[in-house]
Amino acid sequence: MSTLKVEGLSVRAGALELVREVSFAIAPGERVGLIGESGSGKSLTALSLMGLLPEDVTASGTARLGGRDLVGVPESRVKDLRGREVSMVFQEPMTALNPLMRVGAQVAEVMTLHGTPRHDARERAVALLDRVRLPEPAQVARAYPHQLSGGQRQRVMLAIALANGPGLLICDEPTTALDVTVQKQMLELIDEVAPALLFITHDLAVVASVCERVLVMYGGRVVESGPIREVFTRPRHRYTEGLLAASRLTPRGTRLPTIQGSVPPAGRFPGGCVFRNRCPHATPTCEAAPALTGEGHAFACWHPAG
Amino acid sequence: MRGRANAGLVAGGALVGLVVLTAVASFFWTPHDPTLVDAARKLREPGGGYLLGADKFGRDTFSQLMVGARTTLYVGVVAVGIAAALGVPLGVIAGMTPRGWLSELIMRVNDLVFAFPALLLAVMLGAVYGAGTLTAMIAIGVATVPAFARVARAATLQVMVTDYVLAARAAGRRRPAIAVRHVLPNIGSMLIVQASVSFAIAILAEAALSFLGFGTRPPTPSWGRMLQESQELLFSTPRLALWPGLAIALAVLGFNLLGDGLRDHLDPKLRRVEER
Amino acid sequence: MPSHAGTPLVEASGLNRVYHRPRTSLTRPGAAVHALRDVSLTIRRGERFGIVGESGSGKSTLLRLLCALDRPTSGSIRFDGQEISGRPEKRLRFLRENLQIVFQDPMSSLDPRMRVRDLVAEPLVALGLPAGDRVKELLADVGLPPEAADRYPHQFSGGQRQRIAIARALAPRPQVLVADEPVSALDVSVRGQILNLLADLVDDLGLTLVFVSHDLSVVRHVCETVAVMNAGEIVETGPVDDVWEAPAHPYTQELLRAVPTLEGLW
Repeated sequence: MSTLKVEGLSVRAGALELVREVSFAIAPGERVGLIGESGSGKSLTALSLMGLLPEDVTASGTARLGGRDLVGVPESRVKDLRGREVSMVFQEPMTALNPLMRVGAQVAEVMTLHGTPRHDARERAVALLDRVRLPEPAQVARAYPHQLSGGQRQRVMLAIALANGPGLLICDEPTTALDVTVQKQMLELIDEVAPALLFITHDLAVVASVCERVLVMYGGRVVESGPIREVFTRPRHRYTEGLLAASRLTPRGTRLPTIQGSVPPAGRFPGGCVFRNRCPHATPTCEAAPALTGEGHAFACWHPAG
Repeated sequence: MRGRANAGLVAGGALVGLVVLTAVASFFWTPHDPTLVDAARKLREPGGGYLLGADKFGRDTFSQLMVGARTTLYVGVVAVGIAAALGVPLGVIAGMTPRGWLSELIMRVNDLVFAFPALLLAVMLGAVYGAGTLTAMIAIGVATVPAFARVARAATLQVMVTDYVLAARAAGRRRPAIAVRHVLPNIGSMLIVQASVSFAIAILAEAALSFLGFGTRPPTPSWGRMLQESQELLFSTPRLALWPGLAIALAVLGFNLLGDGLRDHLDPKLRRVEER
Repeated sequence: MPSHAGTPLVEASGLNRVYHRPRTSLTRPGAAVHALRDVSLTIRRGERFGIVGESGSGKSTLLRLLCALDRPTSGSIRFDGQEISGRPEKRLRFLRENLQIVFQDPMSSLDPRMRVRDLVAEPLVALGLPAGDRVKELLADVGLPPEAADRYPHQFSGGQRQRIAIARALAPRPQVLVADEPVSALDVSVRGQILNLLADLVDDLGLTLVFVSHDLSVVRHVCETVAVMNAGEIVETGPVDDVWEAPAHPYTQELLRAVPTLEGLW
């Protein structure tokens, strides 16, 4: 088992800097949440670790998993790492599966790609489908994706992600397209099988139910990070504070606390502190970018809460 | 990816633009009278004011090509116009009432016409009403109606299931208003693409009909007829077939590239990739 | 105005809706799907009525029937005493004037090729009502500047687009506003703004609100009455606080248990 260590990861599309200087580490067995709204750069961060960035988008900085580089290596070498060292489950379980291939064969395929003999792969595919708690795995293996429900398809995606025993599982909004009752089982399953987890979502309550540590991203930067209970009960960054307040539904007839304005489109966040144009506490000081400081519970804010 | 789509669009636009410019210019100026028969210039080699030489009747090839561009565009515009004017409303109606008997009727008649070879239709019409540019255009146009109807229907079906059509219905819009305000603007890009592809096909069809003697009548110059007249001299004077052949190929290529380029350019799904 | 004092405005009784899948065999007809089974409900004037359910629960089908965008296979829907199910569009004018909808995804519910001015005015144009300065007024009501009228939907953020959709729904001065998951597609930091705006408008204009959501906690914040749907049926209905505190039906209990919450941390 190995540790993921990301340092100074930046993602650019031409002149636009979409992710800036992101650093974090994930130890074996650890469950880390990455929270952000649209345009926060959370998905790009994940895609850059997988080497799956779109053609005209580039990543810089370092990301090492078990002594191997994930960022800035040629495609031919990333392909070996993908699935074997890091694997990923996406939001939309329908489009991520080949509609013309039986799901068992799709699970087996990722193993044969990494050198497992065909016959072994078939058997292990059924075992994997069993591991992700699909009832009658042998029968499911012979089904086509459209014959399964959304939750079942997402389990198949998880089986594919686990096929080659990766050291790190990345989940990008894996339950957003699912019903809440199905979501709960899926979250429990992910928690059970993930070797180490980077869980990306916009939903604070979902993160709280799976992860022990959390990174809060806004405008392409990590603005706060730390143990989830601490960050969620005593947020320091004003964005985290506002987000938590907005997530809490007050009784009927009362006004919900809000964050003013809207999330700017990617690349149009202000310089300095990225949140200052929406922050009620912003002062001229905030025109300079605050550094992410603090041991354990870190935040990047000139006028922290609490 | 995006760069390539643009390159196709630019190249296609340039080729089509060249054909259009040539056709327009031919109204005002050609090096020689394209229909003037002059035995003295018979099969004259290129040079000395005759850029591409002259044919077996002594007519200037370059001038004929210029005026031929006019015929080509004329045929394309009228044929595609007929096809769109009939096909689009039929397709939209069929797409807006997918389960109705009218939709069934439209699409089955459509299939019938689609199954009928366009050239055969043109030859038949030519035999009955007399061969000529107009007959050829109508035949090509009618034969192209199903293509437009199908594209319009498929695109309409897609638009009809969108939330904004549902929202328009909830706002109290009736069908005709929805067709005009929501469906047509949103299927326009696909129709433009279909038009450019059909244009290319119409050019080929006109050339083929003229070659068979069912298209443009002499003395009006047409690229297809130029090919036909050069047939017997194919081995002795290949340039007579080469130039109109090249003109047809470039015009067809131009319209096809334009169609593909427009498709990529107007497709919001491809555009979204760029925005991300 | 307390909800129980209101007179019934929307009354549905014995609604069934059966869809037929396209046939896949020459000899057998396509499979029948029961999207709604014997659904009855009453929404009173001035009430904030929530409908909660997961995908496939039938809540979207019910919504379409209530808005006369689809016809029930059997059953009746009365709006203000008048039967609406099965009426042709041209005899639904009173409904369109009095009941308007805000859809879930403002990205797809606004025609991308129309300007905001035309989008907001569309219900007025459709109903032959004078527009005048109404568009400007409506934009102001939902907190958008008058310049917004000349722009296209894609030039706005998700929250702003939902404001446009709300302005449009309010254009003919309806009595009932139906909101179909109006905040599900929005960022959390924007969700509160839209929910507050809806609450203000419902108060100021004395609207009856029908609020459809998959999230019982959002419905609890917005509504006083709730109907919980599962597999095409209403399994439980009543005051939302009662349903929240003491769910009676096993499905409601399961739903409440499954909702992830931050409460434990506070």
